[in-house]
Amino acid sequence: MDYYFTVLSTLILFTAFLLIANKRPDSYIKTFRAQSLLLALTTAIMGTHNLFAEGHYDVMVVCLLIIILKVIYIPNLLQKTQANVAYVVEKDFFSSIPLLVILCCGIVAFTYFTLISMEGMDAGPVNIQLVNSVSVILIGLLFMISRKRAIGQIIGLLVIENGLYITGIFATHGLPFIVDLGIFIDLITAVIVLAMMVFKLNDEFSSIDTNKLKKLRG
Amino acid sequence: MGLALFMVALLAILFYIFLNQKTLLHVISISSATLFMLIAFFLTRSVLRDGVIYSAGFFYLDALSAMILDIVLIIGWIASIYSVGYLETEVKTGKLEVSQIKLYYLLMAAFNFSMMLALTARSMGIMWIGIEATTLTSVFLVGFYNAKKDLEAAWKYVIICSVGISLALLGIIFLHLSSVEVLNGSHLLSWPDLFANAADLRSSILKLAFIFTLVGFGTKAGLAPMHTWLPDAHSQAPSPVSALLSGVLLNTAMYGIIRTAAIVNKNLGSSSYTGHLLIAIGVLTMLISAISMLTQKDYKRMLAYSSIEHMGIITVAIGIFSPAAIWGAFFHMVNHSLTKSMLFFASGDIYLHYHSKKIANVKGLLQALPLVGTVFFLGLFAIAGVPPFSIFASEFSIIAAVFDGGHLFLGAFLVLLLAVVFVAIALVLFKMFFGKEGSTEPSVAGNVSGEVMLVVMLVMISVGGLYLPDQLIQLISQAQKLIIGG
Amino acid sequence: MIIKVVAMLIQIILIIMLAPLVNGIIKKVKALTEKRRGAPVLQMYFDLYKLLQKSMVVSEVSSWVFRVTPWIVFATSLTACLFVPISSSLLPLHFQGDLIMLIYLLALGKFFMTLAGLDTGSTFGGMGSSREVMISAIMEPALMVSLFTLGLFARSTSIPQIMLHMQEQGGMLAHPAFILLFLSMLVVIIADTSRLPVDDPATHLELTMVHEAMILEYSGRDLALMEWGAAIKQLLLITLLVNLFFPYDPLPGAAGMGFVLLASLGIYIMKVILASVLIGLIEVSTVKFRLFSVPNLAALSFILSFIGFLQLFVLGR
Repeated sequence: MDYYFTVLSTLILFTAFLLIANKRPDSYIKTFRAQSLLLALTTAIMGTHNLFAEGHYDVMVVCLLIIILKVIYIPNLLQKTQANVAYVVEKDFFSSIPLLVILCCGIVAFTYFTLISMEGMDAGPVNIQLVNSVSVILIGLLFMISRKRAIGQIIGLLVIENGLYITGIFATHGLPFIVDLGIFIDLITAVIVLAMMVFKLNDEFSSIDTNKLKKLRG
Repeated sequence: MGLALFMVALLAILFYIFLNQKTLLHVISISSATLFMLIAFFLTRSVLRDGVIYSAGFFYLDALSAMILDIVLIIGWIASIYSVGYLETEVKTGKLEVSQIKLYYLLMAAFNFSMMLALTARSMGIMWIGIEATTLTSVFLVGFYNAKKDLEAAWKYVIICSVGISLALLGIIFLHLSSVEVLNGSHLLSWPDLFANAADLRSSILKLAFIFTLVGFGTKAGLAPMHTWLPDAHSQAPSPVSALLSGVLLNTAMYGIIRTAAIVNKNLGSSSYTGHLLIAIGVLTMLISAISMLTQKDYKRMLAYSSIEHMGIITVAIGIFSPAAIWGAFFHMVNHSLTKSMLFFASGDIYLHYHSKKIANVKGLLQALPLVGTVFFLGLFAIAGVPPFSIFASEFSIIAAVFDGGHLFLGAFLVLLLAVVFVAIALVLFKMFFGKEGSTEPSVAGNVSGEVMLVVMLVMISVGGLYLPDQLIQLISQAQKLIIGG
Repeated sequence: MIIKVVAMLIQIILIIMLAPLVNGIIKKVKALTEKRRGAPVLQMYFDLYKLLQKSMVVSEVSSWVFRVTPWIVFATSLTACLFVPISSSLLPLHFQGDLIMLIYLLALGKFFMTLAGLDTGSTFGGMGSSREVMISAIMEPALMVSLFTLGLFARSTSIPQIMLHMQEQGGMLAHPAFILLFLSMLVVIIADTSRLPVDDPATHLELTMVHEAMILEYSGRDLALMEWGAAIKQLLLITLLVNLFFPYDPLPGAAGMGFVLLASLGIYIMKVILASVLIGLIEVSTVKFRLFSVPNLAALSFILSFIGFLQLFVLGR
């Protein structure tokens, strides 16, 4: 089972790289959907293991929630939002993509060296999984600060949450059930709030380029 | 008893959803706030008597939570009385629709509910959920007027705080990881269990957890360099909302940091690790806010930077972590909430009269609005740390603790920064009070209810500098002993 | 000694004969997914035969480079195919460092092709040459890192030995990092063989050509040699990909020598067909990138291989 987890964590890292190399909001949403699908697969593997070994079915419920929310509902909501706001064909990011991609590489190396210097971390598969998951969080952060459009920032937030959830699964086999449930409720509320904010921004500013939000400085 | 809090909150929300009449909404708001306050008094009394309250498996109240919960509910009560007058005036001048009042109360109720959830939760995961929920419920309160600046402030607020909170969640995950061998089952992530077994947790992971929690909750608390959302959000929101955000929400975020710091300090055996981080961030916060205050042109923004500065003071005090410093920090949290909320309420009245947030447009305040003007004037003295107000007492105790702990340069630097802050407030704001009033508009029959509360609060903060009720002293001492680790 | 020579001959003949088939399969896959019947799979053989019969037209302003290049391209491809293992029972040539030799043989052919594109003085040739040089320059680091990671893993820089080592370890399933290396090499191979999304091999618009532009001026026998050389190079790269990552041949010594050889050749041909179908499907589902978006792809490929390297050697310890 550890082997599957390592493979899945590598694939999730791969989708995070794909995300950084993407240029258009539609591809962001598609890549996010793929990443959430991989996340659901991981949870399903852990869930079946839990179900047969210990009889808890809470992880399977969480897996189902992930599929309903992150694979189906949230990307659809974001696609509808994206379809309804002003579309401008212009560069969405602050520096060139190859530079960002190489920064991601640096992030993975940095995460590795930070985690390896802590005693108490087991070596071997857990180490790789943890490095991959924390890198996904930091790559999501990089994605968020490198995109100018509001939709990009929302996707960055969602990728950070994905990475957090994966870290939780790999490090501690999941947080307590109530906490997980609460996190999901928070997540869905956050996405709804953000989508409504995007609509309001679009109404007022006729664009969702957050570079235009410059009036309050100092 | 504690569950009664949540039941009242849920009932209130239900009423707000279904009722539409303006007066009814006001009545529900004031009555629910009063009920909250009464329940809080009962709870505090039993905490003073018994020490901690456990109930229903997830409700946990000790002296620290009780202290902050009291502040939340008292200021919430004052805010609900003030809001009545404020909203009525805004509807009369046509800036708000009647339907928006319903939205306002609904969001305020949800905001209160999430803060109560954060403060009374036994599991740190649920505390995190509560703090994240406070961000989400207050976004639309910040952008309430739906103008361009408000939306910009709301967007920055939600994005920066959501990122920060996510990092705090990473900290909580690491906290969980460090304890996964020691605790299990229903005791996972519960603060009293974590604190009791703190020596058995894994130190290195705990250190990493503290860094992430500090950055994450520090974003919500307005610590530099994650403070950039605070001036915008607090200045663009309607005044009662600003008062709640400044006075209450920042304290709740600091509560998260204090809880984590307590665990880490107990585990490491000394407070030097957390102390260095906290003092560094606290001093940076105070420096940035002091410098920024010198060039402000908007009085609400100025008050927001002052909030940042006071949060910096509290952070430094917690970094020192001596008993006297902790006592001073908690005392300061109480005083700052009362004083800052009073200032924001007064600024709301000023805005209602002058219809502008710029300092340049406000002249002759003492003549035009005598009561509000005097309150604002004295409040500014208070927030700058002038005796005999309560803020002076708490700042003095903190600085004394700093010098007592042997950090001479740090203490001197802090005093210098406080002096800079005083100069900034004096220079920039005293322009508002004198001179001829430029506006020829007849003064709108303002916010009577609000003005009453302003006087009450002024009395409270002036008295607080000289005399404290015994229960308050006992509460703060209990909280201090709890955190130091008995 | 005799066995070695026989092995070399078998390898060369097999690769030469198999190379045009890959092109045919890819074109057939593209046609079938577009609901056309498409050209027969063996079409390229007929094309090459036809081209060999035709006479050549050579520009007067071109130099010896133009005339020599087709031979060099064909020769380098043929030499390179001696180092690439088709099956683990047929290892004609190997010595330490033949990995580097292979890459630079193929690069030699590419170098002369670029020069030849410039040689005739036509604008399209020059444009194709400059683009080709840019693309291969940015794709090379990824290829190097991937291959050297595999070499480090097998503790050797000789490709047949790498293949043997991977066979013992179970191929791609040995470590999840190999997935990243596989993806990275896939991208590099797509770029090197001038397939979509880097370069469209079926385009007739000279402004969008990269590889085709360099061979635009060739005709007759020279064109046949160039096309065949390119096809052999494509087959070599595909062989590298499938044999290094999915080396599921029967090991020599498992049964009688002839039986093992035939079985492994059969498996190899199946793998090549599957890889061609995969490349065909990739071609069908993407569009050609703008030239200045190709560095994005190259950067992605590079960090995939670099992270694969990190995971194998830095993290796993």
